[in-house]
Amino acid sequence: MLDCGMHMGFNDDRRFPDFSYITQNGRLTDFLDCVIISHFHLDHCGALPYFSEMVGYDGPIYMTHPTQAICPILLEDYRKIAVDKKGEANFFTSQMIKDCMKKVVAVHLHQTVQVDDELEIKAYYAGHVLGAAMFQIKVGSESVVYTGDYNMTPDRHLGAAWIDRCRPNLLITESTYATTIRDSKRCRERDFLKKVHETVERGGKVLIPVFALGRAQELCILLETFWERMNLKVPIYFSTGLTEKANHYYKLFITWTNQKIRKTFVQRNMFEFKHIKAFDRAFADNPGPMVVFATPGMLHAGQSLQIFRKWAGNEKNMVIMPGYCVQGTVGHKILSGQRKLEMEGRQVLEVKMQVEYMSFSAHADAKGIMQLVGQAEPENVLLVHGEAKKMEFLRQKIEQEFRVSCYMPANGETVTLPTSPNIPVGISLGLLKREMAQGLLPETKKPRLLHGTLIMKDSNLRLVSSEQALKELGLAEHQLRFTCRVHLQDTRKEQETALRVYSHLKSTSLMAR
Amino acid sequence: MSSRVLSFSLRLAGTFAAQEDCFLYLQQGELLLGLFGEGGPQCWAAWSVPTVRSGWIQGLRSLAQHPCALHFLADSGAVDTIFSLQGDPSLFVASAASQLLVHTLALSMQAGATGCSGLWDGVWPACAQKIMGHLEESLQSTAAPQVTQALNVLTSTFGRCHSPWTETLWGQLCPLVARLLERTPIPAAHSLVDLLLSVARSPALSSSHGRLWEAVAQALRCLSPMQAGSLALGMLKLPHCPQALRVQAFGVLLQPLACVVKATAQAPGPPGCSMWPPGWLDGAEGSSLTVDTLLSSKSACVGILCQTLAQLEELQPLPQRPAPWPQEPLLGAAVTILRLCHGSATSSSSGGGRLCATLAGCVRVQRAALDFLGTLSQETRSQELEKEVFAVLSEYLGSPDSSPTVLKKAFQTTLRWLLSSPRTPGCPDLGPQPLLFLRELFPVLQKRLCSPSWEVRDSVLEFLTQLSRHWGGQADFRRALLASEVPTLTQQLLQDPESYVRASAVAAAGQLSSRGLQAAPDSPEHPQAQQGLLGELLCILSTDSEGFPRRAVVQVFTEWLRDGHADVARDTEWFIATVLQVVSQDLDWEVRVQGLELAQVFLVQRLGQPRCPYMVALPEAASATPIPEVLQSLCRLRLFDFAFRALLDCDRPVAQKACELLLFLKDKTAMCGGLQEAGDIPGSASGQVTLQRWRAGEQGQLPGDLQPEAMLALLRSTDLEGLQARLAQSSDHMEKSPQSLLQDMLATVGVLGENEADCY
Repeated sequence: MLDCGMHMGFNDDRRFPDFSYITQNGRLTDFLDCVIISHFHLDHCGALPYFSEMVGYDGPIYMTHPTQAICPILLEDYRKIAVDKKGEANFFTSQMIKDCMKKVVAVHLHQTVQVDDELEIKAYYAGHVLGAAMFQIKVGSESVVYTGDYNMTPDRHLGAAWIDRCRPNLLITESTYATTIRDSKRCRERDFLKKVHETVERGGKVLIPVFALGRAQELCILLETFWERMNLKVPIYFSTGLTEKANHYYKLFITWTNQKIRKTFVQRNMFEFKHIKAFDRAFADNPGPMVVFATPGMLHAGQSLQIFRKWAGNEKNMVIMPGYCVQGTVGHKILSGQRKLEMEGRQVLEVKMQVEYMSFSAHADAKGIMQLVGQAEPENVLLVHGEAKKMEFLRQKIEQEFRVSCYMPANGETVTLPTSPNIPVGISLGLLKREMAQGLLPETKKPRLLHGTLIMKDSNLRLVSSEQALKELGLAEHQLRFTCRVHLQDTRKEQETALRVYSHLKSTSLMAR
Repeated sequence: MSSRVLSFSLRLAGTFAAQEDCFLYLQQGELLLGLFGEGGPQCWAAWSVPTVRSGWIQGLRSLAQHPCALHFLADSGAVDTIFSLQGDPSLFVASAASQLLVHTLALSMQAGATGCSGLWDGVWPACAQKIMGHLEESLQSTAAPQVTQALNVLTSTFGRCHSPWTETLWGQLCPLVARLLERTPIPAAHSLVDLLLSVARSPALSSSHGRLWEAVAQALRCLSPMQAGSLALGMLKLPHCPQALRVQAFGVLLQPLACVVKATAQAPGPPGCSMWPPGWLDGAEGSSLTVDTLLSSKSACVGILCQTLAQLEELQPLPQRPAPWPQEPLLGAAVTILRLCHGSATSSSSGGGRLCATLAGCVRVQRAALDFLGTLSQETRSQELEKEVFAVLSEYLGSPDSSPTVLKKAFQTTLRWLLSSPRTPGCPDLGPQPLLFLRELFPVLQKRLCSPSWEVRDSVLEFLTQLSRHWGGQADFRRALLASEVPTLTQQLLQDPESYVRASAVAAAGQLSSRGLQAAPDSPEHPQAQQGLLGELLCILSTDSEGFPRRAVVQVFTEWLRDGHADVARDTEWFIATVLQVVSQDLDWEVRVQGLELAQVFLVQRLGQPRCPYMVALPEAASATPIPEVLQSLCRLRLFDFAFRALLDCDRPVAQKACELLLFLKDKTAMCGGLQEAGDIPGSASGQVTLQRWRAGEQGQLPGDLQPEAMLALLRSTDLEGLQARLAQSSDHMEKSPQSLLQDMLATVGVLGENEADCY
């Protein structure tokens, strides 16, 4: 099973996949060899504890080392929203998240992992977020590549996705930005810096709610560089505990970041900032401008919400939301334009501060997707994780350019792909010797037809001479003779007629030659 | 028209047509024929979109509610389209089509029931006849998908409808189903098993069971061991399954294990392996099918063993499980399998040798066998077998080859066996086997606590916590534990780099400490031990960057307070004040909730249990401490301050818990003190002002020198009951309010376009 995500837009049963489509009566573990998780975002791993601890999957779960480290943090955060804001009692617990994580087998990039005798998997770098990977899944000579989410252009802290020319039978690729050629990232970065700068210039405070890991680090590097260049003195703070945690993971997984960060790491750790300091809750009341990165990213609890409550009433201040917000969170409400927030039914908070949404997500755009298809050279392409209309456009483009079949199945739809698998067959020595005796020496480059009898025994295939086949199977030889009776009307004598027929047939065959 | 709009229109039309008069109205306008009839959407280009087909089926499903609809379905050709949609490439469409057929058949039969008794007169209505014809045809088809579709429809029908007509239906189709079992290979075996089980469970089919049992017996003989296994388990779960069939079914489940034991009989296996109960394996003994499957390939062997072990595990605790339960042979088989996987069993026979090679190092089978072994701990056992079990568990716990997931299961199984180990009545000592095992266990635990894998360290700590909770008072256990390095290592793991492990170490160290089993405090090489566990836990509570260890600390403290732990009892007030002060600053709401729990335990200890609202008021038993004195101490500890601040916490569960705690206090102090108005008491007014300021999100503290009277007045003047009712509603109630919904919808149309695309 590739990924085990959740739908962020639903609060009911629909948020998790309906696993009964895998099996209704049997045990899930008997139907699945393994689960592969591409990266730590909740739409790719959010249902994992539910699947393994509540539905009852007990097999292995594969993911990369950074994903294994970061995934439980996000799951825990999500659990806290569900239990806190929605008051859900029947939800997975911290213990379940831990038990689920104990089933994880972490993999390295380009390491071929043998899941069982038949199935092997291999991870490739996908960019997108720290630890994101594409997976190649191989059974015999047939293979599938699943990209998860990926980014074909390097950003400030991660590199570009890469895969070798593995020529899979099928490439399953995400298509979030299927039609878009995204405007340069530089424009968005400039826009972000301009907004932050303007706000602090006029004495306002900027709140940037973030999740502990991911975009936060990219934005920090961005601000740090800008502050350095502009020689700004306005303080930038990062939530308590966050810097250490992020630093810890980035140091631990430095090989997963981009080349520049890796190169400069020895001289200067890009994640140890000069201008960004640890935040103390008392700082929120300090007068004057400041920029604060605070968790969690959807303003649903904790420090970011506390700061938001303090600063919301001042129109000079600004909150910048750099990511998606789940319905029901304060983040979602202010992004929807709500200006009066009912805080837990007890008080009304008037939002006067400016609210900005900035997209910093790192998906491949149409150009990037085409590039990846070109790189992997698949026989077939399957588009997922996108909107139908946009996918249709991309599908046509892929089919035209690469002359391969491209599919975009709806949810629940089955796609059947024809493949021609190689089935190895052993040839008996006797048969080979007989061929050699005919004076035909084998040539490696020239395929040759070999006649024999194919025997299948214990799932092994062997080609043997028909005599040997009969002997091995204990069968008697039967000969079939085909005869045909033709009635001729001729007044001549029998022998004479026979002679005429014979000479006629002979002349016909001579003519045919 | 967009396919989504079209799909919605189809569903909407169906919803309207669910009412008979509406249906007639729509039919007059020929709208229904256009939408659901033969010349309807099937001819449109949009039909290729699964959403449209799905909408069409959902529309029909809503519409099929009354006799007019049935006529329409049969005459318009819609039923034929449903037949073809059963094989749709979309899972959802195919499944919905199958469900719709079941519904239509049931509705048709219901409508066909005549007379006031509502009983069926034996005549199949037209629509039902059509469906029956289709089912019969499908069952005779040579195409497996068609057979599967028919079997699925029948399975759902027998599962859902228990009217008398289903008996006739089975009578008619039973021969066709039995004929499927004669084909080679048997088509749609999974669905066939589901159907047989569904029919067997149906209460309406009591008199046709004879033919059913015949079919089941035949299926148990002909199906592959994998497929027969689930049928056998299903049969054994039935309360009314005939004994002969039970024997046959149980034989199917036992067969794979018996084969393994037989193949490895020369191996130094545990005694009693071959003592299978007479009768159970008679029918199946000669079956070479299982042996073939076991030896054919690794995946087949692993598959069948895992399935069988899981099925027997499921069967074991059921009251209707076969009796006598072959505990000893099963134990022997589980041990043998574990040894084969571990490589410690060898066999000279060719089959045994192949099994050894197939199962060596197989994690899947190891996990399944350990789970099963754990279940078997609940039964009586001989000392000799118990020895074997502990020996194999020892091998697993000590082996460097055991994977973390296997080790986790091995620890869980060990715990079950240790805790269920029989003791001599009246004697507190452990039995001889657990005692021997304990001596080997602690060096293993020591080694595992230093494992580089966090999963292993964590599993050991969880095991240790559980074992000391149950055996903390047991002399042999105490001796063995204290003689080992385990307590010291546990304390060292409080500094583990992995937060999960730190949390488990907190729980384990807390448990050991409450049992007086902590690391020796006077050892000079452990400076942390000298500052005392309490100090160290407080340090974790105030400085750990992760929530789990901090939560675990407060849980341990609460337990300590409940049990009267010495460190707490020495100066309980200081303890409470210190913990609450740290907890109130915590950013993790779950830590704050647990802090309130701790405060509540403290209050109960001081003021007595909460009053049961249904209890007849009895003269209150004198609480340990007089109430004014308690209130005084609460003020000193700033417990009021903590609880009132929590009442306005932005995280709902914290506010809820605080509300509960303050209501308890209010109730307990109801009869205490003068009934002065809040405003009359010094400090009370400023308290109210502070509450107002908090509500507005500002900083500030309740006056430190507040007197109990002022606190009481504040407590009485706050509408705690009202607040509790409001808090009981989840914040979803705001989301569901029409205004909020409207705002979200408006916002989605405009602003959120990019946000949605940028989701993650």
